[in-house]
Amino acid sequence: MQAPKWLNIERRPIPSGRTIFAVSILAIVAALIVMGIFFATYGVSPIRAYGSIIGGALGNWSGFSETLRRMIPLLLCGVGLTIAFRALFWNIGADGQLLLGAVAATGIALFSGLPGPLLLPAMFFGGFAAGALWGVIPAVLKVKLGINDVITTLMMNYIALYVVLWLIHGPWRGPSMRGYAYTDMFPLSARIPTIGQSHVHWPTLVLGIVLAIIAYIFVNRTRSGFETRVVGENPHAARFAGISTLKTVVIAMLISGGLAGIAGVGEVAGVHYQLLDPTQISMGYGFTAIIVAWLARKNPLAVIVTSFFFGVLMAGGDVIKVNLGLPYELINVFNGVIMFFLIGSEVFMNYKISIRRH
Amino acid sequence: MQRRTALIAVMTAVLLMGIVAVGIAKEYVPGTPIVAGFIYVGPIGDYGWTHAQDVARQIVDKEFPWLSTVYVESVAAGDTVSTIDKLVNDRHCNVIFTTSFDFMNGTLAAAKKYPDVIFAHCSGFKRAPNLATYMADFYQVYYLNGLMAGALTKTNKIGYVGAFPIPELKRHISAFAIGVRTVNPKAEVDVRWTEAWENPAAAKEATEALVAAGCDVFAFTQDSPTVVQVAAENGALSFSHYSPMYRFAPKNVISGELVHWDKIYADFLQKIYKGTYTAHNLQNVDYWWLLGQGAVEMGAKPGMPINPVFIDKLKAVTVDDPVLGKIDVYDLIQTRLDQMANPGITYNPFQGPIYDRKGNLEVPKGMWMSVDSLTTMQWAAAGIVGPWPGEP
Repeated sequence: MQAPKWLNIERRPIPSGRTIFAVSILAIVAALIVMGIFFATYGVSPIRAYGSIIGGALGNWSGFSETLRRMIPLLLCGVGLTIAFRALFWNIGADGQLLLGAVAATGIALFSGLPGPLLLPAMFFGGFAAGALWGVIPAVLKVKLGINDVITTLMMNYIALYVVLWLIHGPWRGPSMRGYAYTDMFPLSARIPTIGQSHVHWPTLVLGIVLAIIAYIFVNRTRSGFETRVVGENPHAARFAGISTLKTVVIAMLISGGLAGIAGVGEVAGVHYQLLDPTQISMGYGFTAIIVAWLARKNPLAVIVTSFFFGVLMAGGDVIKVNLGLPYELINVFNGVIMFFLIGSEVFMNYKISIRRH
Repeated sequence: MQRRTALIAVMTAVLLMGIVAVGIAKEYVPGTPIVAGFIYVGPIGDYGWTHAQDVARQIVDKEFPWLSTVYVESVAAGDTVSTIDKLVNDRHCNVIFTTSFDFMNGTLAAAKKYPDVIFAHCSGFKRAPNLATYMADFYQVYYLNGLMAGALTKTNKIGYVGAFPIPELKRHISAFAIGVRTVNPKAEVDVRWTEAWENPAAAKEATEALVAAGCDVFAFTQDSPTVVQVAAENGALSFSHYSPMYRFAPKNVISGELVHWDKIYADFLQKIYKGTYTAHNLQNVDYWWLLGQGAVEMGAKPGMPINPVFIDKLKAVTVDDPVLGKIDVYDLIQTRLDQMANPGITYNPFQGPIYDRKGNLEVPKGMWMSVDSLTTMQWAAAGIVGPWPGEP
């Protein structure tokens, strides 16, 4: 395609932090304007809609606690995804990895017979391992057999979903649940402490923030992290430099799947205290986390901010549903619109576009 | 280290905000306006459970000038407490109805968090001083429908498409089978489970499988008219469930089960308005409303207990009843309906002696099942075939 003569398109070799930030903010603003039109078509003034989203998600503790609760799984999945995406591995399967983590945590909580103090550490470890295992399978399939990672990770979500359904309808259906498809409630020692009566299981939140910092150090300051970037940015150079693609991608997916697994532990041990319908456990966190990681421009530290932002949007979605009577699905439309503008804005990040003056 | 200190400071601040936020709601003063919030598990257009709940909400909303209502649809179990937060704090609700078993744990947690708000949870079994439970149950109606099914089947095979193998459905299917066997001791009720309240594809598949197995009359527990439609396509008869489904197959729908949640809502809300019920005396308030209270009705649409197409066919079949003597099925149904619907109930389908399908005596001679044993029921009545998870 030939650009018109009056337009000057110039490649930016390495976009500066300021450019990335400015372009991202502009993309969000553009998305907010488009969403405003949607709100207006429902007869709600956009200003009132955004006002109640922000007021409801941040203005009081009960709303703010919901924001934090939604932020936790987005943060953990999002940090993991930044690593996978850096290795140019398209992990669309964080939702399934999250579910497997939830399954492992439930199994340990209900059936391991471990003494109380060991339960939670074992659940976190088991959740990480289960999510990591679920993530490593498509990594090996891609590097060894060349099978498309988007397809395998996406499809493995459904396998995970059916694993959970089978467990709650079959062997793990709780005797105390009177035939309903839930496991029994976790013992008190297998529940993550929360702040007050909210669903904010703060140890998982603290863990997520610490892991974001560690991931940042991993990416920028370690040899493995450097290799991840090289494999992602220039696979040929990586091969000439003797970097093992298999090892690098496997490490990236161990981290990505493992962190999603931890998010799953947090959901069952911090919010529900039992394994239940998979759509109730994950609520699409693994997919929203893709946008979270993308908006963070694959920077694990920035995920702390972007996951909080999407936490506000998700908690705000409840507010517009309860207080304004709008359909919750509008928030999914919102996610789509933001993703659209973020991907579209990449052009402006990598190219400097200006009007040519004669 | 500084970062950690900052984090602890933030956590402390957040904790303090939490303490301040609790206890904002004020206790309801009798005689003042009531704002009732309804939380639904599905969309109000589901043509089943949630639809029926919302119809009832609209009825009471119109009936009482001192009542206004708000509702939230498609709420996830994990969002029960956060939805109640907003209903109490932003919408100023002083009464909250949570209309699905899924909301049980969340409702109990919210009842503790807002001790001054009055809660009522549908179909659950956990109560608190400010949390009542309520249920409009169909077991009597299923028994009456069973009498009709037993008389009208030609193949002696009756299909039942169930959602989940929970006590509610086991009770209904057993009552249905007891009715079937009263009229037709050779007939069997063949059960299939879809493991979903609303899954038209699975309901269609189950119905077609049962048609292939020879079933010619259908009953079901599904939040969609799928079974009625698929049965009619195959020339089979059926009973409507929950919402009026007569119009989907006017020549094939015999009768059915209709619900009137508004009777329960009206009674509960009026008692709050008068000050009979408060946030302190609901620990033992459990509505278990049946035909007698008008909370349920026999029929495929309101006011039509039996589709006129089938009345003569029911009159043509007679049974020998130990008390009533030789009686045709139509009259038997009318007699039983009167005995159960009028005050001073004189008949119960679960009247001993009743044996389960394994031959164990479940209800001794002369006894009726208690509400508690009905709500925890796991066994299958004689005449039921097919899988029965959790069977003792």
